Amino acid sequence: MKAFLAAVLRIVRKDLRVESRTKGITTTTAVFALLVVLAFAFSFVKTFREPAVLGRGALWVAFVFGGTLGVTKAAAVEDRNAALDGLLVAPIDRSAVYLGKVTSTALFVFVVNVVTLGATTILLGYAPTPRTALAVVGVLAVAAVGFAAVGVVVATLTYRSGLDELALPLLLVPLVVPVLLAGVELTAALTAGAPLGSWLRLLCLYTGVLLLAGVATFEFVVEE
Amino acid sequence: MTEPAIRVDGLTKTYGRIAAVDGLSFAVEEGETVGLFGPNGAGKTTLLRMLAGLVRPTGGTITLGASELTPDDHGIYRRLGVVTHETMLYDALTARENLRVHADLHGLDDPAARCEAVLDTVGLRERASQRPDTFSHGLCKRLSLARALLHRPDVLLLDEPYTGLDQRSVADLAAVLDGFDDRTVVLTTHDIDRGVARCDRALVLDRGELRADVVLDGSAEAFESTYRRSIGLDEPGRDRTT
Repeated sequence: MKAFLAAVLRIVRKDLRVESRTKGITTTTAVFALLVVLAFAFSFVKTFREPAVLGRGALWVAFVFGGTLGVTKAAAVEDRNAALDGLLVAPIDRSAVYLGKVTSTALFVFVVNVVTLGATTILLGYAPTPRTALAVVGVLAVAAVGFAAVGVVVATLTYRSGLDELALPLLLVPLVVPVLLAGVELTAALTAGAPLGSWLRLLCLYTGVLLLAGVATFEFVVEE
Repeated sequence: MTEPAIRVDGLTKTYGRIAAVDGLSFAVEEGETVGLFGPNGAGKTTLLRMLAGLVRPTGGTITLGASELTPDDHGIYRRLGVVTHETMLYDALTARENLRVHADLHGLDDPAARCEAVLDTVGLRERASQRPDTFSHGLCKRLSLARALLHRPDVLLLDEPYTGLDQRSVADLAAVLDGFDDRTVVLTTHDIDRGVARCDRALVLDRGELRADVVLDGSAEAFESTYRRSIGLDEPGRDRTT
């Protein structure tokens, strides 16, 4: 178990180092997410009187599109020079490779989402209390893990099978609908101070299911 | 009696109805250098990638020493060094950092020292702080070889090691490989002259099948004749471009 976790951490560390040099995933994704928020601001800010509704709408639309771009970029790093093959011929469990990739990808998606949350506050007037904002950040963290859990598998599958990049959102988005739905409902409930109901359970359970499914399928996705 | 370094039994890989590798059986003895020869589409790369555990066979078995190669037995990868057409390296990291990533993943003792040692072996110490995307194809190949040698594998798998290299790079690569004559090596190549000079034995593949298993005596002419006959290149009407 210790060796397994060490392998996961080594892959995360490698991804963080690569990203610290290129900033290819976070910068591109953040710019894209901010453009989504800006588009919302230009389109609705004068006519729409409920910043909380507008803010959470922009936040989760940016989450889906920015996240899709993020997982694509993360998979592209491993596709270039067949770098992923280098990880596969290392004496480590392939589920460690998967969990390492999920951890780093979720981290990148999460960081961009936090920036997006800040942008919705500034540009759309969405002003949750600090406690609510913290809870929303927690929801974003779990949602980022769920998104990355399925995103890593689908993006790897897309690249390794030579599918068009357009196939990625077509395969990915339907699979993350429960994450998105739970995220939107939880953000609404947190902002309104309403009970979270079963949405939090759904988000956590579905994320867990996606992770287990990813561990079970990654081996077959990476092997030709 | 010692086990062969590699034993392949009835190995098959099909993609839909096409058999890329069709029931291959052979063994490679310890310390032997075996060349896989054959026209494009013969199944050389698919076979090599199956030996590396990157392609899942449809049927048959691969045994390394006494252990069968299965996706679940990750420890077996400590025995294999793999160099393919691609470098398997990250352009954003320096040569040294790339090697360190792989040294850590292999759990080597004193990974930093081992990285420096292989950089010396392949003659890249001077360029260790540079990124591989600034390297020529020949230097990338050497760095790729350094990655494969890091963990001192018993078996080296080399896919088209000479492709795209100029004369000097080929000579450099050959000099590096000369230092590893005690290892078991399986390589694919289209270059009959260099292949014959490097290998003890040749397996000729065509359309996924083993057509000849030849002990080489250093004569490229003699082997070329066998090779052409094995794949039917001299038959009238045979497409001479394959």
